[in-house]
Amino acid sequence: MLEALFESEKKEKILFFIYSHGEGYAREIARTFQFNLNTVQNQLLNLESHGVLYSRLKGRVRLFGFNPRYPFKKELEALLKKAMMFLPESEVRRYYFPRLRPRRTAKPL
Amino acid sequence: MDFKNISILDLAIFLSDHLAKHGIETVLSGGACVSIYTKNEFLSYDLDFVMLDFSGKKKIKKILEKIGFQPEGRHFRHDDTPFIVEFLSPPLSLGEEPVKKIQTIEKKGRKLKLLSPTDCVKDRLSAYYHWNDRPSLEQAVMVSLAQSVDFKEIERWSFRENMAEKYSDFLEELDKA
Repeated sequence: MLEALFESEKKEKILFFIYSHGEGYAREIARTFQFNLNTVQNQLLNLESHGVLYSRLKGRVRLFGFNPRYPFKKELEALLKKAMMFLPESEVRRYYFPRLRPRRTAKPL
Repeated sequence: MDFKNISILDLAIFLSDHLAKHGIETVLSGGACVSIYTKNEFLSYDLDFVMLDFSGKKKIKKILEKIGFQPEGRHFRHDDTPFIVEFLSPPLSLGEEPVKKIQTIEKKGRKLKLLSPTDCVKDRLSAYYHWNDRPSLEQAVMVSLAQSVDFKEIERWSFRENMAEKYSDFLEELDKA
């Protein structure tokens, strides 16, 4: 969808993932898309070094999200939102439709 | 250059001038500006330079290595000084707005470009607005007390960032100070 702009399908998917989930970590993203972990880590670090993403440690996990101080954050999110409308519904439901509400401990479903 | 006991201001001037001579234009931002504007009432050990364009990024490593700064992850360090130097990607911005007016400090023929006191306050407030970082709010107050800043401009910018409520926190802290 936006590969021409982002020069990488992987980068596009990582950005879609973070847009839809709010935050994400490398292993989780790599597992979701069956990507190589190092590739995902490098893309995340690269986006962070350019100020697009922030990262923070939560326990032992480094979470990445859109940097609220990135001057084009709103525009990037608007672009991703629009591009996501062009994705097949099945892809959106599979990768970008996370359950964000809490789940009580020990609840079976 | 002797880096032992060098002040943050002198180091910033030296590095900025040295890089400019190699065609790399930078602007100092972040906590180092707070140190400079408060005359080290707040002491930062981080020198965050924003590059004005990408083209020089690859050259920086070579230039700094020649004067003894070694890369450590994304930072550079010199054995003789505790300060850490980092180069941030452009654009130079404060929230959603580009920085238009850049301050210059000149000393012994060397020049340092840095955020103006007003923009330094916005920079610190931005960290408070988005990360709830209280030390940054404190630093914004310190700079406001130590320097002449444009409060109307800070208010305009804060409202544009949709941070009217947190801007009133800043005013409250200023009143207390």
